[in-house]
Amino acid sequence: MSAAGPPRGANHAPSGGVGVPSSAGEPILAVENLVTAFRTGGGWHPAVRDVSFAVQHNETLAIVGESGCGKSVTALSIMGLVPPANGRVAGGHIRFAGRDLAALGEEEMRKIRGDRISMIFQEPMTSLNPVLTIGFQVAEALQYHRDMGRREAAAAALELLDQVKIPSARQRFADYPHQFSGGMRQRVMIAMALACRPELLLADEPTTALDVTIQAEVLALLAELKAAYGMAMVFITHNLGVVASIADRVAAMYAGEIVEIAPVNELFARPTHPYTELLLRSIPRVDRDTVSLAAIAGQVPAIGAMPSGCRFAPRCPLREPVCTERDPPLVPLRDAPDHQVRCWLRAPPGGGGHA
Amino acid sequence: MPDSVLTVTGLRKFFTVTRGFPRARTVTVRALDGISFHVRDGEAFGLVGESGCGKSTAGRAALRLVEPDAGEIVFKGENVVTASGARLRELRRKLQIIFQDPYASLNPRRRIGKALIEPMRVHGIADAAECEARAHALLAEVGLPENAMVRYPHEFSGGQRQRIGIARSLTLEPELLVADEPVSALDVSIQAQILLLLQRLQERRRLAFIFISHDLGVVRYFCQRMAVMYLGRIVETGPIPAIFKEPLHPYTRMLRDASPVPDPQVKVLTLRIEGEVPSAVNPPPGCHFHTRCPRVMPVCREVYPEWRQMDDERGVACHLHTR
Repeated sequence: MSAAGPPRGANHAPSGGVGVPSSAGEPILAVENLVTAFRTGGGWHPAVRDVSFAVQHNETLAIVGESGCGKSVTALSIMGLVPPANGRVAGGHIRFAGRDLAALGEEEMRKIRGDRISMIFQEPMTSLNPVLTIGFQVAEALQYHRDMGRREAAAAALELLDQVKIPSARQRFADYPHQFSGGMRQRVMIAMALACRPELLLADEPTTALDVTIQAEVLALLAELKAAYGMAMVFITHNLGVVASIADRVAAMYAGEIVEIAPVNELFARPTHPYTELLLRSIPRVDRDTVSLAAIAGQVPAIGAMPSGCRFAPRCPLREPVCTERDPPLVPLRDAPDHQVRCWLRAPPGGGGHA
Repeated sequence: MPDSVLTVTGLRKFFTVTRGFPRARTVTVRALDGISFHVRDGEAFGLVGESGCGKSTAGRAALRLVEPDAGEIVFKGENVVTASGARLRELRRKLQIIFQDPYASLNPRRRIGKALIEPMRVHGIADAAECEARAHALLAEVGLPENAMVRYPHEFSGGQRQRIGIARSLTLEPELLVADEPVSALDVSIQAQILLLLQRLQERRRLAFIFISHDLGVVRYFCQRMAVMYLGRIVETGPIPAIFKEPLHPYTRMLRDASPVPDPQVKVLTLRIEGEVPSAVNPPPGCHFHTRCPRVMPVCREVYPEWRQMDDERGVACHLHTR
């Protein structure tokens, strides 16, 4: 029962350098020019606009941003779970293992969802069924996708619960969600998501509701399972500290667009978009004294009132006339092609990348 | 403590909860199991710990928003626990609170102006015109536009609502503010705005703070001293720089090392999975933390460690530090 491990220095996530798959080879997921729109106030407004990224096998891409920046909508679009009543994927492609998910019907999507792509959410209690035992809920995906019998699925589910380190899983197999603590529930949800050994896991703020010590446990568990299964992970969070500890690459989103994308070490060493840079300087750090805290004036624009030109321009201290006139493109830096930035001043198209 | 404005001694609060189905059981939650601390003049004192450790109850009990079962609270020489009537009202004016979710504490059908003016009227500090002028000045002080006076809570964003909550806590010109997770529900950029605002107010008005938070980074930035709580008890107190440099209690160390740092070069502590974390309903015998402690000794399972004051500033309850 003792918590152990050397403080600071133990590496639980392959980040940067080792463990990063080479960019060669077909990515498991390629999102191209995704547009997802919602109907508000009588018109359709894009919540996600022109979002493109790729994720390789065994790679963790973190999507980071503040509330309302479109990170969850991006994940729901990949899962085909955008609420049809007032939302739709309005453009672009979502290529998963070579197939375009955006073009698939619900029937086909159901075969993929929970089998080859899984998702875990922030609040496990709202995702778990309160009147079914956790054992049943973990086994369900196996019965549905793998045609297992009840006994066989139950045995496999028990093994999964052991793998996510539910203590005395056999005794707790028939317990209900309310009998578990928040951290344990999150582990049950991870077991459910990983039942069919998905090739891609979408994790939407999976540790945000947890205490820091429990968060550290769950992050370590996810990193361990990812390494064991070789799956790709899209990890959505607003916490740059969590990003630093789990990601291989990072995409920073603002107001529905990716404003910067880079390998994790590169992004933290050289944040280039003014938004990313300010965001990093606005976190009071636990490991050293923060002498001056940067605040970003104003707030994220509402979905129906997006400014023209660069969407960050109204809050940007570097703003120049060009910023409010034309949309900046996402372009690679001259000296680091895998580091892309959407900013007229810091990353002007056609070279002159900021160093 | 001579220079302290608020001194809390042996504060205790147990809640009785009946729950369960089909057979309900009555359990006792030992939310505060005898805690003592003091806050100095103009100082921000941090109360940190994970959910269920009793930090919010401690903040509320200090203002008697929940009645403590036992213990003593002295504010500037005056006994808060026994005060009643006009004396208590006067104390309440000097002790105010900021909540995590200001939206929940604002009447949705009442304009902001009225929410700001009402406390001043209740306490009879000024006439109508003077109240109005003060409300305008407060809005300006917390960085809200003039026209906020005539708008309703739903018209504001989360960060602006927290500014309203802060403005309202200042209406009676308090001397001590309890800030209960004031930035936890906010986005990072807004969190920084609010922290800077609170800091400015603290300097300008020479306010003392009890700053309750689970985020050690925020506490390190905002506070001068802190107390770490675990299952209803304080396990360590001391000045911020010293605690972060060399935590005495293994729980403080674990909290510090498990907090994520926005730097991929710094590796966060790897924690091994354990069983269910104990709660204040069933604190383990001996030291409450022994079930999770990496340095547990046999004595820890038997005896709760006595509080040891290491020097004027630092104290800890851990068998590693009993002589």
